[in-house]
Amino acid sequence: MDRRRINGPPSGTRPAVFASSIKTAPGAATERPKRQRQSNELRKIFLKTGIIPTASGSSYVEFEPSASLAAAHSSPQSLIPSSSSLKLACTVHGPKPLPRSATFSPNIVLTTHVKYAPFAARKRKGHIRDTGERDLGVHLETALRGVIVAERWPKSGLDITITVLEAEDDRWWGDAADSHDASWGMMNVLAGCVTAASAAIADARIDCLDLVAGGVAALVSDDSTKDEEGPKLILDADPAEHQSIQSACVVAYMPGRDEITELWLKGDSSKASLGDGDQRVGHEALIDGAVDAARGAHTVLTEAVKESAERFIRQAMG
Amino acid sequence: MAQTAATTASQQQPIPPSLALPPSQFARLQPHAYLLAHLSPPASSNQPSIRANGRSPLQFRVTSANAGSLTHTNGSAVVRVGDTAAVCGVRAEILHTDDIASWSVSRPAAPESNKKRRKLADTNQKPTQESADVATQNNKEDGSEDDQEDESYIQDFNLLVPNLSLSTGCAPGFLPGAPPSTLAQGLSHQILSLLHSSRLVREDDLRIWYQPLDLGAEDLERRNESEQMDVDAAQNDQQHKNREIKAFWVLYIDIMIISLAGNPFDAAWAAVVAALRDTKLPRAWWDEDNEMVLCSEAVSEAKKLSLRGMPVASSFVVFEADAAAGWRAVVIPDAEEEEMIDEAKRKGLQRRWILADPDGYEEGLSQERVSVVVDKKDGKVVVLRMEKNGGWAVGPKELRQVVDVSAQRWDEVKLILEQC
Repeated sequence: MDRRRINGPPSGTRPAVFASSIKTAPGAATERPKRQRQSNELRKIFLKTGIIPTASGSSYVEFEPSASLAAAHSSPQSLIPSSSSLKLACTVHGPKPLPRSATFSPNIVLTTHVKYAPFAARKRKGHIRDTGERDLGVHLETALRGVIVAERWPKSGLDITITVLEAEDDRWWGDAADSHDASWGMMNVLAGCVTAASAAIADARIDCLDLVAGGVAALVSDDSTKDEEGPKLILDADPAEHQSIQSACVVAYMPGRDEITELWLKGDSSKASLGDGDQRVGHEALIDGAVDAARGAHTVLTEAVKESAERFIRQAMG
Repeated sequence: MAQTAATTASQQQPIPPSLALPPSQFARLQPHAYLLAHLSPPASSNQPSIRANGRSPLQFRVTSANAGSLTHTNGSAVVRVGDTAAVCGVRAEILHTDDIASWSVSRPAAPESNKKRRKLADTNQKPTQESADVATQNNKEDGSEDDQEDESYIQDFNLLVPNLSLSTGCAPGFLPGAPPSTLAQGLSHQILSLLHSSRLVREDDLRIWYQPLDLGAEDLERRNESEQMDVDAAQNDQQHKNREIKAFWVLYIDIMIISLAGNPFDAAWAAVVAALRDTKLPRAWWDEDNEMVLCSEAVSEAKKLSLRGMPVASSFVVFEADAAAGWRAVVIPDAEEEEMIDEAKRKGLQRRWILADPDGYEEGLSQERVSVVVDKKDGKVVVLRMEKNGGWAVGPKELRQVVDVSAQRWDEVKLILEQC
């Protein structure tokens, strides 16, 4: 029991169970949302810097809601949301002196921290970071460590904090977990975290090699795919829109230097069915796809950073 | 000192550039003098007293609110007060009465049936006891019958669970991942106690009932014959006897302070109220076959919470011209001193200012804080909570002024919350 927080009823509570989810009612109105985008089309990204004036750098990222979710917002029918769209806020504090007790460090000490809000996902999250959140923090740190010019700030620290207000689903809510199931939503969250953190670091005016952007690609098989055909490659997959994701890959990519600072590939990518004459192996195609997605995010990132620089100049001019 | 510095700087036209400090540097080096110089401009300049952030002393920051944007919540809101931003999400979960250890012990009968019976008795008999009469009158005034005793459910079973988090990187002082700071714990508890004392959420909205199917029609008839009761009353009674509470909704109210620039309580509370106003609970019932509570997913069947009023919080700090005021031992001023202060005021020499909606800079410079929560019912201002600490500058007279300002603020916030 956590005495520093307000705890609910000591016996615990249960999440609401909807009648439609346990009854297999014929002709149920709920259907898996369909992907409306082309296979290489990304969701629109809303990225804004400087939303938190007390931090040295900050940014806010929001993915465009899928067509079904947007429809549900404008004319709500069901209380069960069909999918969700990523929303997160990132703050950067620093560079600041390390505490006295810390040992000498010739480089900047980077601390990353990813936390979901309790209401971010379908299942209520706890207040203490779980393993998934810690994992995301570590992945984010590797993605950023290769970008920041660390030796420019000896003996200093940089804190990057990300609060996820709304996370991506791991699968469609109506599906049971199957053998291919993994936390696919986390990969989209990581891509968003990388893009947001990159914008916030630039907003804090910390020297970087390049603007790093995150991108996701996935190999998915849908109801329509025939058995002999392998899964198809799509960019920026929303897990709620696909029956099963075979494999997914997220990269943190610097377009200017054509470098990848972080690569995370999950699942079986061997059975990909690519276009005719495509000689690439599954995972190569997957990584190329993720890089393409990152390039797309990079264009948004440049705009946001430009905006941040203009704001900075305006402040400096008074 | 600040005054003289400011005036001499403006008088000596050719300022040596090496000595001139930009205002932001001066604000950091001499925060107290900087704010004081703003609030007490030289009498010759004819400038009004203004705060360092450009607001007049009793002006609040620009507030905006937006509700219902988070997908996985029953109700949500984002409230921005100047640079302070709070996100609140309300999530409803179910607490079965079987899981409450003290349920059968503490409440053997459904309270509403008792109530009904008592009311029936009241109307049938001549009201002999004055107290009972007063009680029913009070109930009628409140607009609902079930206001009195059963509000205790919300407190007894912790049906409202507010938690405020500051470890979102909102300000440099709060480490992410660390346990909630003293400030965060304090704010969570303030919100909880205010939710309880203002009785904002009606317990009636949180109950999930079970009405067993009426199988025994014969049973009813038999009773009718033997007891010679009025059929209507008996049926009514029967229905309420069979009806039982099977579960409660528990509202997890989580507030993330995304950006902290002073006065988190006002923003957090406004976010809580806006989110609760946005909250929709699905229709829920006890399903005998599955032995669990089921909910309907249809939005048309979902019900909004019916809140009691719209409390609005306003906070103030007192800024003392004497920089060492916070360090001295607190002595209650005697009549002479009071006179001196009054005299100084008449001469136009103000020594202390009440500042509404302080930002982080002003909070750091003041000791005394006043926080008032008001609501308006039928044009009447109701003070729901009043907290004052850290000094003696605010007396009854000033408090009245503070309450008046808060009442004006209520009108502003009401417009904002109703439009979101």
